[in-house]
Amino acid sequence: MKMSNKNFDVIIVGAGGVGLAAAMYSARLGLKTLVLGASHGSELPVGGVITTTNIVENYPGFIKLTGQELAKKIEEHAKSYKLAIIKEKKVVNIKKEKNCFYVQTESSKYKTLTIIFATGTKWKKLDVPGSKEYENKGVNYCALCDGPLFKNKIVSLVGGSDSAAKDALVLAEYAKKVYIIYRGEKIHPELVNMERIKKNKKIEIINNTNILEIKGDKFVKEIILDKHYRGNKKLKVDAVFVAIGHVALSDLAKKIGVKLNEKGEIIINHKDASTNVQGVFAAGDVTDKPFKQLITGVADGCTASYSAYEYITKNKVVSC
Amino acid sequence: MAVKIYTIPTCPWCLKTKEFLKENKIKFEEINVASNQRAAKEIINKSGQTSVPIIDINGNLILGFDEKKLKKALKLK
Repeated sequence: MKMSNKNFDVIIVGAGGVGLAAAMYSARLGLKTLVLGASHGSELPVGGVITTTNIVENYPGFIKLTGQELAKKIEEHAKSYKLAIIKEKKVVNIKKEKNCFYVQTESSKYKTLTIIFATGTKWKKLDVPGSKEYENKGVNYCALCDGPLFKNKIVSLVGGSDSAAKDALVLAEYAKKVYIIYRGEKIHPELVNMERIKKNKKIEIINNTNILEIKGDKFVKEIILDKHYRGNKKLKVDAVFVAIGHVALSDLAKKIGVKLNEKGEIIINHKDASTNVQGVFAAGDVTDKPFKQLITGVADGCTASYSAYEYITKNKVVSC
Repeated sequence: MAVKIYTIPTCPWCLKTKEFLKENKIKFEEINVASNQRAAKEIINKSGQTSVPIIDINGNLILGFDEKKLKKALKLK
């Protein structure tokens, strides 16, 4: 394991939109900044989860653009500062010794005064018989990535959130029929997306219903519901897309003593993005902030950068 | 070495795979399975997978962006 000869003021773990925005701000404040991330288990490249969103309409300055376009713009902005280095490397371990953190990837080890966790989340997996067996054989998690493979097919989408609704709308661009299957009384997307769902004749919502099992041969062929739908518990589908929420990627933070809530999210001070561990900050979907959007995460990322800057300058932590 | 990559324009890992091939100066043929439904059907049946990217290197398929597998198959260091 080679020890990098460069010491950093801040290492940002996670290279999604939030991590990149934090990098931009840290570098702007004059901090030697390193971003490490292959997004840490969310299994997405630099840019993170926003790259799987088709259309973003709630980011100021851009009325409408794709998630990939937005991620690219944030990445370019971060890279415009020479003090920000971005490496697509997964962090495998972090250790704290006195005022210093040692951050390890598979090939290198780095030293830093502060850490910002922007590790985000990964998709929550559907756990029913057949869901693992048919993963990527009809059970899919990224509607934007794989939806076009189901042109003129019948697909189902599990979930009731705004993300689920947006996925259903993407799928309806290709499939001939989209069933939204939701365990609760009523799906709860943002109003604008609810209206789009209502207007889309390809989409049908099945509320108060769970999938009990996924069956097929080489690929998914049908799902078994826990309630009758039009007189039958069996529903013929070619795919089951899953949008049932996310799991916080906080294992690395936990390793160095950062406190998590019952959902595994990093508990931060909502004023300054600090955690219970000195010199450690967090922002974005991995934290316990309830409203999880790129716009809010980016703001917290900048706050975390400023707090890291204040921590270094006020405490005169100059080396370790 | 014949390299084909089956992609969908909106798939982040497809972009990543193409960047990887370009960085390593590997020539490849791209097949957009969002617009080419015949190719989509063929590769789904051949690979047994409903997810992209799928990379065909001399007839051997690599499913998804897997840097280690790609490097081995392409004999890169």
